[in-house]
Amino acid sequence: MNIVIPQHPSLYKIVISHYLLAAINFLALAPMLALAVNDLGGHYFQPHLLAITHTAALGWGTVIIFGACYQLVPVILETELYSYKMAWLSIALFYLGLLDFIYSFWVFEPGLHMQCGGLLLLTGISLFVINIFITAKRIKKPDIYQDFILTACIWLWATAILGVLMVFNFRYAFLPQDHLLFLKLHAHAGLGGWFLLLIIGVSAKLLPMFLVSTKQKIVWLKWSYPLINLALLLFFINTYFFGLNKLTFIIVFLAIVGVVCWLIYVYQCFKSRLRKKLDVAMAHTLLSISLLIIAIIVLPFIIFYQLKVDVLSIRLTVVYGSLLILGWISSLILGQTFKTLPFIVWTKRYQHIAGSKITLLPAQLYNSFLLNIQFISFLMFIISFSLGLFLKLQLLVYIGVVCLGITALLYVSNVLITLLKNTET
Amino acid sequence: MISFEITDGNFSFKMKVLNALSTVLDPELQVNIIDLGLVYDIIVLENSKKIEINMTLSSTHCPMGAAIVNSVENCISHHFTAYQAIVNLVWEPVWSFEQITEEGKLQLEM
Repeated sequence: MNIVIPQHPSLYKIVISHYLLAAINFLALAPMLALAVNDLGGHYFQPHLLAITHTAALGWGTVIIFGACYQLVPVILETELYSYKMAWLSIALFYLGLLDFIYSFWVFEPGLHMQCGGLLLLTGISLFVINIFITAKRIKKPDIYQDFILTACIWLWATAILGVLMVFNFRYAFLPQDHLLFLKLHAHAGLGGWFLLLIIGVSAKLLPMFLVSTKQKIVWLKWSYPLINLALLLFFINTYFFGLNKLTFIIVFLAIVGVVCWLIYVYQCFKSRLRKKLDVAMAHTLLSISLLIIAIIVLPFIIFYQLKVDVLSIRLTVVYGSLLILGWISSLILGQTFKTLPFIVWTKRYQHIAGSKITLLPAQLYNSFLLNIQFISFLMFIISFSLGLFLKLQLLVYIGVVCLGITALLYVSNVLITLLKNTET
Repeated sequence: MISFEITDGNFSFKMKVLNALSTVLDPELQVNIIDLGLVYDIIVLENSKKIEINMTLSSTHCPMGAAIVNSVENCISHHFTAYQAIVNLVWEPVWSFEQITEEGKLQLEM
């Protein structure tokens, strides 16, 4: 019985397009942050920060995850993607909407532009979710990886719908509660529901493959899944009706236990790995996990200070958001790009001759020196930027932004090297 | 590691096939498929001029599965032009790390 899924002819273009679009957005982040350094010291709910957050979360994180999903879904869900045409339509609408959306946030024009942008984004996201759901329907034997990925898609949908409602609320003010309350729900549906669940589902399948791990204790994932989802649902209900309160601590605790279950699974994969040497891409992954842990540690303090009506909660929230979006998600992408992108390029360029001629290997397609420097500059960015935000030291924030710019330039260069390197040996 | 009876009439030819397959690498692990213990059997069908490779992958739906199978086919076609390559993926016995040779373990720095 042969269970090998050859690379679909349309896959290369769709995945590469996503990677390139995401890289452009990543490149835009440092200049945008440089223009908004003064805003970073204030409240997080302001035009420039909203534009930056959406550039990072949607333009960088979500776009690349969409692309990676199209590449990895056949591997993780063990079936072919339902429709490549739908994938193209999805990214076209999504990206048009994103540009409109970010522009209207930056200049803060909450009218037709922002509304159209929001609706286009929602349509693009809906097409992605439908594509993944129809793909998953073909699977005969559902598993925990599929549960994580499909539930993440539902949370993404919920995040987008909430976001669009908030956009229309700017103009028509119909939502029954405070806008900031909906912002909390929107942000956590996105971070905890979409990003966290998706990253858990994908990493749970891919980490053991990349590390060649001998132990995979799925039972930890089976605890992680209900705990995180229960915590998110309780957070929604409790916050909507009662705002942040002491019960929020218990809900956060549930979520933390869920994340810890996943971390135990990851730890066992690392501990039982046959491949002892960790490459820089995997080091980025470890850094990413460390930043997630730090962000989780910050979370109870945010609630504590918010309940005390202390302005420190606002500063901590900015640090928390930065650690998650610019730290955890970015570090993961910065590393995993060089685990996934070289494979799709290698398959396209060398698979037909591999075995009959000596070819470059996927890991030889990118420049490992640049990747090392990228890791260092990113580490300097996240330390300097987070400390600068926390201590309100603008100089540190500026140094962080410069390091982020260098990281982005190195990343984009290496992506281009991977795509353009054409040496048959 | 795969081995053949020296009394096998195709012993020498099978060893040549084995050596050729030693040049096929798992693109991710960068270790050849023989040292990874992925190849279970080599069958030479002289009459029909076919070389059958019974092999496995480190996991079902391995992301590099198609690439590895393709490389094996390319390798046989390239080195043994008179023969047709047939790759049979088998899942019994299930591959485990015990099947990696000492050389493979050294390369993986196990």
